[in-house]
Amino acid sequence: MKRFAILTLAVAVAFGLLAGTAAASEPGELLIWADADRIEVLQEFRDEFEEDLGVPINFHEKEFDAINDDLGVEGPAGEGPDVFIGAHDWLGELVADGLVEPIEMDQELIDQFEDVGMEAFTFEDDIYGLPYAMESIALIYNRDLVPEAPETFDEFAEIVRDISDEDDKYGFALPQPDPYHTYPFMTALGGYVFGFDEVEGWNPYDVGLNNEGAVEGLSRLNELYADGSVPYVDFDTMEGLFVGGELGMMVTGPWVFPALDDADIDYGVAQIPHMNDNPPQPFVGVQGIMISSFTENPILAQTLVTELMADEDIMYRFYELEPRPPVHKAAAEDAADDPHTAGILESAADGTPMPAIPEMSAVWGAWEDALDLILTQEQDVGPALDDAVELIEEEVQN
Amino acid sequence: MFSWNKAFIFKLIFLGLFNAFAVWAAIILFVQRNYIFLGVLVLGVIVINYVYLSKKNYHLKYIVPGTIFMVLLVVVPIFYTVYVSFTNYGTGNMLDKQQAINQITGRHHRPEDPREFYFSAFKDEDTDEIFVLFEDREDGSLFLGEDDQAVPVDPDDPRLEDTTGDGEIDTFEGLEKMERPDVIQNVSRLERKEFEYDDSLMRMRDLNRFALYRPSYEYHEDEDKIVDLRTGEEYFPEEGHFVNAEGERLDPGFQITIGFDNYRRLITDPRITGPFIRVFIWTFQWAFLSVATTFALGLFVAILLNDKTMRFRKLYRVLLILPYAVPAFISVLIWRGMFNPSVGVVNRIIEYMGLSGLPWLQNIFWARVALIIINLWLGFPYMMLLGLGALQSIPGNLYEAAAIDGASRWQRFRHITLPMVLVALAPLLIASFAFNFNNFNVIYLFNEGRPAIAGAQTPAGGTDILISYTYRLSFEAGRGSDFGMASAVAVMVFMITAVLTWINFKYTGALEEVKENE
Repeated sequence: MKRFAILTLAVAVAFGLLAGTAAASEPGELLIWADADRIEVLQEFRDEFEEDLGVPINFHEKEFDAINDDLGVEGPAGEGPDVFIGAHDWLGELVADGLVEPIEMDQELIDQFEDVGMEAFTFEDDIYGLPYAMESIALIYNRDLVPEAPETFDEFAEIVRDISDEDDKYGFALPQPDPYHTYPFMTALGGYVFGFDEVEGWNPYDVGLNNEGAVEGLSRLNELYADGSVPYVDFDTMEGLFVGGELGMMVTGPWVFPALDDADIDYGVAQIPHMNDNPPQPFVGVQGIMISSFTENPILAQTLVTELMADEDIMYRFYELEPRPPVHKAAAEDAADDPHTAGILESAADGTPMPAIPEMSAVWGAWEDALDLILTQEQDVGPALDDAVELIEEEVQN
Repeated sequence: MFSWNKAFIFKLIFLGLFNAFAVWAAIILFVQRNYIFLGVLVLGVIVINYVYLSKKNYHLKYIVPGTIFMVLLVVVPIFYTVYVSFTNYGTGNMLDKQQAINQITGRHHRPEDPREFYFSAFKDEDTDEIFVLFEDREDGSLFLGEDDQAVPVDPDDPRLEDTTGDGEIDTFEGLEKMERPDVIQNVSRLERKEFEYDDSLMRMRDLNRFALYRPSYEYHEDEDKIVDLRTGEEYFPEEGHFVNAEGERLDPGFQITIGFDNYRRLITDPRITGPFIRVFIWTFQWAFLSVATTFALGLFVAILLNDKTMRFRKLYRVLLILPYAVPAFISVLIWRGMFNPSVGVVNRIIEYMGLSGLPWLQNIFWARVALIIINLWLGFPYMMLLGLGALQSIPGNLYEAAAIDGASRWQRFRHITLPMVLVALAPLLIASFAFNFNNFNVIYLFNEGRPAIAGAQTPAGGTDILISYTYRLSFEAGRGSDFGMASAVAVMVFMITAVLTWINFKYTGALEEVKENE
């Protein structure tokens, strides 16, 4: 028995020595969590990073939308990354959860980026992320069906009805029920999600989704649904119709460009039509690079982000791989040579950042339900939005 | 004593691997001071080694691994879920209290005069000591970090030397200034250095600079409070946050146990109790209809395929199994497109026949019909497979006897096939019922529980089942995700399903034969 015990112990120790290292933030090594596209770019610059910092850089690929959830579990357990990418509207939750670290940036660095991007990553005076891309939605039109983009909503409605009168063609579509894509039409005449104050920030107790402007704007859009000119479809169906040449116009973002380019569609990107000369204000989302609160290498992580990643070439490569406009000014200037990207940037110029407070999670469900009821003609615009706002207010107060 | 045959060597290697893994895990647990799990681990390792090394207790060699896996994969998650249901774990309350305190007290702000200092570090390789010299480039003043103090030094101090003559000091007491790679090598030591200066602290800002900071908060352990050093405001722990007298909370909060609060909310919150009966009835209908329709179609197809005179039987079988082989979430998304009222193929076919399309997504009844159809498509191949197996087990002489007695085809099905198949499949049908009772995927992917109900006081949609509705309440609620609440719901749904399953077993007597054999 004794001999056996010694034997197993010996084998155990041998294997124990062979056991590898765990993939977590460790002193003297930097771990980055990112999605496949971002990793592809960062891999290209990995040698540069490693040479400059003299420490190994490791990557862990995650689905973009899984990063914030996984961070909440793995960060506090000591299994998280040093640096991760994410969307600015996670920030409220990340800060409330204590998962993200402020980044010290010099004014000179801040000035290299568009204000809207830096503001999106600012929370209570601290900057939490280096913005690499922004996204917004615009009017995307098929030049074969719509030679020139309409500027006013009335012109727009006329074109939509003309095209939809033809067989098997639709003038316009939006993914539904989708608050994000419908929001611009509610904002042109004065609707908003949460009130904003320069000093206090977002005010979750001031919901403006059922004010006069929101109701009026959505009503105008709804007329097109009511007479059957606009089909009630989800995102994939909308994209399919557009790629198939059966759809004149849609409102969505740069993420559809690759599919449209592949299908050889001649399309233009323009501002969403104005209502009474007022521009719609789409949500602007910003993606950035952030640092975990649980990093073992705060200074190295800061150096990597602020000195090495804040680089025009890297920022432009991100854009090349996925056509969301860069926030880095020099890279954005290059990207704006592309007329489609320029169209998105033009539309985003009138946009508002998506509120980055945890209360946003109370908004989507009720808002979606309201759109569902309204645009399928089950309920009138006013009462449906009132119901939704009532639900949102109840949730926020809870 | 031991025979060195192959089996023994394999056992040795596997046991060695297992123990190696245990040693590795034990070290981690020890470092993390997780003594409870460490104890469990040690106990487990002893038991396993004993069981496999001893010549007695032969039966344990089969039972122990299974038991361990069951405990790890079934029992532990259940207990953890129950535990979480008694906590406030969720957005804003992710960390434990000590982590939250560390985060809050680790915060600093810049004083009104936010001075910055370029630093030079010098390392004495013999004593392993690091000296840091600071230079304020705005006024040229120099400071030396000594015993946690930043002490002014004269530029002409003999300890400082500019050997290269470029105007920058590059040696200190004969030690050479660390270059960037050396600084990076020692960055974790430099990060920890803090030097008092005036009433602020000099801390590392980046690889070139230190800057003045002041801690924003201080934790007093004796009174369990956090003081805001800028305002003197005091924050005491309350419901998982540090809260001041005005009710303002400090982020981040932390996890605490809150007793039965989640369950109380579940029972008293009108947003949950209001639509409960409606949602519950539909959940029950949904589970029942899903099982009934898939079983009926599956068995029908199985009987057809069981007919040995049919040509191309294998081909049909392969084709019919396909819906089962495609991942459900892809099929559901495709079905959702096909059921689209404006452009979907289903309504186009209906309209082609001269009828008007149906409101598959807007109308509660038709949305439910669509869901049953989708689930029928997804689920019948499984029932077909079960049916094919069960049909094989029916003795052929029963049919022969029935044929001699002049029984019709229907009578044969009704009195021989169906009862025999049901006896064999009843437990599986009950399992299928329990599965569909919680079939979140199909419901959520098709329409996210919609259509919405006009004027509803709650966010419950027309096709929401218990699990999808509570998902909405827990994860799309006021302030992010509420895992505590979600766990409470999971425990409740578990109990409901358990009771239903138990009743089903009782009622159908599904396990009677098994009992007889005991």
